[in-house]
Amino acid sequence: MIRVIAAAAVVALFADDYLLRFLAEILLFGVAVMSLDILIGFGGLMSLGHAALFGGAAYAAAIVARQWGGDLVLMLGTGMATGLVLAAVMGVVVLRSGQLFLLIMTLLLAQMLWEVAFHWRDVTGGADGLRGLPALSLGPWALSGARALFLVAVPLAVVAFLVARSFIAAPIGRALVGTREEPIRMTALGYSLFAVRFRAMMVAGAMAGAAGALLPFVNQYVGPQSVHWTLSATLVIMLVIGGIGSLWGGFIGSAVYLGIQTYLSAYTDRWQLLVGLVFVLTVLLLPNGVAGGVRRWRS
Amino acid sequence: MPDALGYGAVQTLNALSFSALLLLNGLGLSVVLSLMNFVNLAHGSFFLLGSYVAIFWLGSGAPWWLAFPAAFLAAGLAGLLLDRFPFRRFYARPHLMQVLLTYGLSLIFADLMRWGIGAQILTPELPDMLKGVVFIGDMPFPIFRLFLIGAGTVLGLALWLLLDRTIWGAVLRAAVTDRGIVETLGIDTRRVFTVVLVLSAGLGGLSGALGAGMLAAYPGLDEEVLLLALVTVVVGGLGSFGGSVAGALVVGFTLTFSKVWLPEFANLAAFGALVLLLLVRPAGIVAPALRRL
Repeated sequence: MIRVIAAAAVVALFADDYLLRFLAEILLFGVAVMSLDILIGFGGLMSLGHAALFGGAAYAAAIVARQWGGDLVLMLGTGMATGLVLAAVMGVVVLRSGQLFLLIMTLLLAQMLWEVAFHWRDVTGGADGLRGLPALSLGPWALSGARALFLVAVPLAVVAFLVARSFIAAPIGRALVGTREEPIRMTALGYSLFAVRFRAMMVAGAMAGAAGALLPFVNQYVGPQSVHWTLSATLVIMLVIGGIGSLWGGFIGSAVYLGIQTYLSAYTDRWQLLVGLVFVLTVLLLPNGVAGGVRRWRS
Repeated sequence: MPDALGYGAVQTLNALSFSALLLLNGLGLSVVLSLMNFVNLAHGSFFLLGSYVAIFWLGSGAPWWLAFPAAFLAAGLAGLLLDRFPFRRFYARPHLMQVLLTYGLSLIFADLMRWGIGAQILTPELPDMLKGVVFIGDMPFPIFRLFLIGAGTVLGLALWLLLDRTIWGAVLRAAVTDRGIVETLGIDTRRVFTVVLVLSAGLGGLSGALGAGMLAAYPGLDEEVLLLALVTVVVGGLGSFGGSVAGALVVGFTLTFSKVWLPEFANLAAFGALVLLLLVRPAGIVAPALRRL
């Protein structure tokens, strides 16, 4: 942990603005992927609607920021509250049944949010999205530059990682893995599958919401693409490349994906082909992702 | 409203032609899903491939009606190759891994098709026979959509006969219910699987060829179609022909009429209705009593 903080401090001192903003984006996406990992990796709940939580919080934060300014505490609160509410709605609706049903329901619900974001022009800006956001601030200090955003994203990622790790290690996290492996036995033991999964959904929603709230400030923009189901699929791709069932793998996955997207798209139009190939090869050769590969190589 | 009747009739026909498309496309997905327990998210790629094959065929001046078998064969061949590698290794894996593999493949295919063909919207050059409109009351209606309804009905009936009335269909349905018992009868279910995947891919391609006249063809259509097919299959219920028909009709009518009544929030209303339907009947409209193991 100290090494991570030291590395972040070194990066914050020496990296240029472009790189810092890019790293902040990786960290925010990493948190979102990590929260998705709680659902998919530990709960076995294949959600294709996670962008609704992440992007929905981004929209909420942007709308609140235009109204009352970009106070960091207010933003995080708004994002987490939005994530919690959306996750609760989604949870009540989707957690009634099994795999394929869950996949379709999360997808349908998330696309409904996209329809709202796309068509409700007065509030969400429609297809143009929202621009011209005020700078992020904490009390009297403005957190406007790339360095400040990076220095906000690092503690957020660290705290989110610690929360996720303790959630997984706690009895509720163990119970969640139990509902994935042996749902019938867990029911026989007196666990309510719905209650366990719903709590996991709430934790994931709050985490994705906190990360999503900062996304508009890193991108200086939020548009309907951030709640579209393709972003949900992108989060799943990041998760798989990084490693399902590994919490820090999410950051690796988002770094690989965003790295390909940002740096290779400058050289070739075929970066999506490359993402697809990396993804399929990961599924074929490293079913547990980069994190699983590292673990195997170490042992 | 003097032509309210004509208007209603035209919208009903629109919904029916859309349902015919959904049925053909959804059936392929449904058979693979219920028989092989395999979630194929590359199904939309078969559809788009079929669309492109048909568009180029129709543009080339070859006999137009051969465009549809050509699309079927092209997509079927793609299915055969994919069955050999890498699908076969994933038939017994959990759904999650199948979803990941096939979604990754669909990304690759989407980008390959965009690379080879370009990102512009292509529409087929329809033969004279299928061009133009007919008048229903005072309302014009494209002949091609009537053709679509006819083709969907004929093909749907043929598939129903194949699946429900032939010995081959009996083998297939038996393998859906209990694969082990079918194997003990000396039938190689792996070969049944291959045939089914080829048939499913071919149906995807064929519906793409038919759909090109209604939806055109462009990058991104594969994803839209895949979503519709998944929704159709899940709403209708897995593992039965009647379920696919019911799902296609419900989704086709919901989407068409929500566009008529609420043009701005059409998809929102339609998705909401489908979510409600799934909440009331989580196993789909027609839920066969399958043995759950």
